[in-house]
Amino acid sequence: MNEPSPGKSVVRLFLWLISPVLAVMLWLIWVVETPTDGSFIRFVNAMLTSFTLVSFMLLLTLVVYGDARKRPVSPLFGMLLCVSVGAALTLFFLSQGDLLMEANGSVRAQALSNIIRFATTALAVVVAVMIVGGTLFSSLLNSPPRTISFEEE
Amino acid sequence: MQAFVFFWLAGLLALLGLMFAFFSKAAMGRKIGSIMLAVGFLSLLATPWTIPFSPSSAYGHLLGSIIGPTVLLGVGFYQIAFSGHVPVGRLSKGDRNTGVIMVIIGVLWIEAMHWFVLTPVYPNEVNRYWLIFWPTLLLFGLACSTGAYAMVGIVGDERHQERRLMLVLGVFFSALIVLGASLDGPNVEHERFAIELLLSGADLFGVAVGAAFSVVLFALVMLIYEAQQPAPHRLAPPTSEQLQQAATTIATHVSGGEEDE
Repeated sequence: MNEPSPGKSVVRLFLWLISPVLAVMLWLIWVVETPTDGSFIRFVNAMLTSFTLVSFMLLLTLVVYGDARKRPVSPLFGMLLCVSVGAALTLFFLSQGDLLMEANGSVRAQALSNIIRFATTALAVVVAVMIVGGTLFSSLLNSPPRTISFEEE
Repeated sequence: MQAFVFFWLAGLLALLGLMFAFFSKAAMGRKIGSIMLAVGFLSLLATPWTIPFSPSSAYGHLLGSIIGPTVLLGVGFYQIAFSGHVPVGRLSKGDRNTGVIMVIIGVLWIEAMHWFVLTPVYPNEVNRYWLIFWPTLLLFGLACSTGAYAMVGIVGDERHQERRLMLVLGVFFSALIVLGASLDGPNVEHERFAIELLLSGADLFGVAVGAAFSVVLFALVMLIYEAQQPAPHRLAPPTSEQLQQAATTIATHVSGGEEDE
């Protein structure tokens, strides 16, 4: 049997990850007839916040990893630029009237609310990974050890 | 000002502490990171008392509400996993049973937070961050279990039991999603849950796209930086004297091996 190529495996894995969430969302929209108001705003807010905060975390990683390097400045500057662009884009779009505003009174309140929502999403993701990973590793480490049997020549 | 110190500064301290505790090469850096993480986390947990007037304190309340079942699940899974076939530090069968009980209690507890009266209420209504946390946990848990099903199929060999287990877990998460969107809980109506589920899906996709953009840019920044570095100094090829010296040294160490063993 032919082994699937790494590229195909990654695509297969990606599809298995993404399709259940898509299926649930489509079920909610078409079968349960859940109103979709605000979904796009939530998507864009989450995207801008995630871009800015993940860039910031990668910037911190560079600072921490600098312990083992000659403390290069240019990558730090590059990631600082990414963080600044993300923050500037977020503030720009939030200040365009009702474009990305939700039930918050000011741009600052909306930006801070986005950050807390990102932290809540991250928390849920960590707990979900813990449950799935814990179940998987519990099963793997508790199944009988495998022995390799060699056929006598 | 109080909200800045007790919530935002504490959050930054916890984040920085986490990074230093995990990534710092120096032992002192890891120790300081752990202390920063503990102080920041405790300050976040205390926000319902330190800054009750701030809407951000609802996040601290959520942290306090889920810490019990999360610790039970984490420690329980650890006990079960490390009482299995591990070469060192294997736990006893009693620890395994304790782990199973902890996981069962943890699952029941977190379920009771939606289906029973344990729903986090802050200050007088259901905590708004719980309404983001719970649907996101269910959605990502479903995605993660199907992803693990595929992953075990790709990298594992004859791992049918694990694949079945991941399918069962996926069905469990799906059932909770369908039940939540169809039946009212004591504190959360099914229409509200369905709306929050849809918004959580939008959140998850947004977070994934934003993070992917950031990682791609990070890789580009590193690539450009590395490409600009001067090539490492190349040594000159060995001279005939050096080669002669090496040959003499090697001959000294391999001589005397004329008899076959």
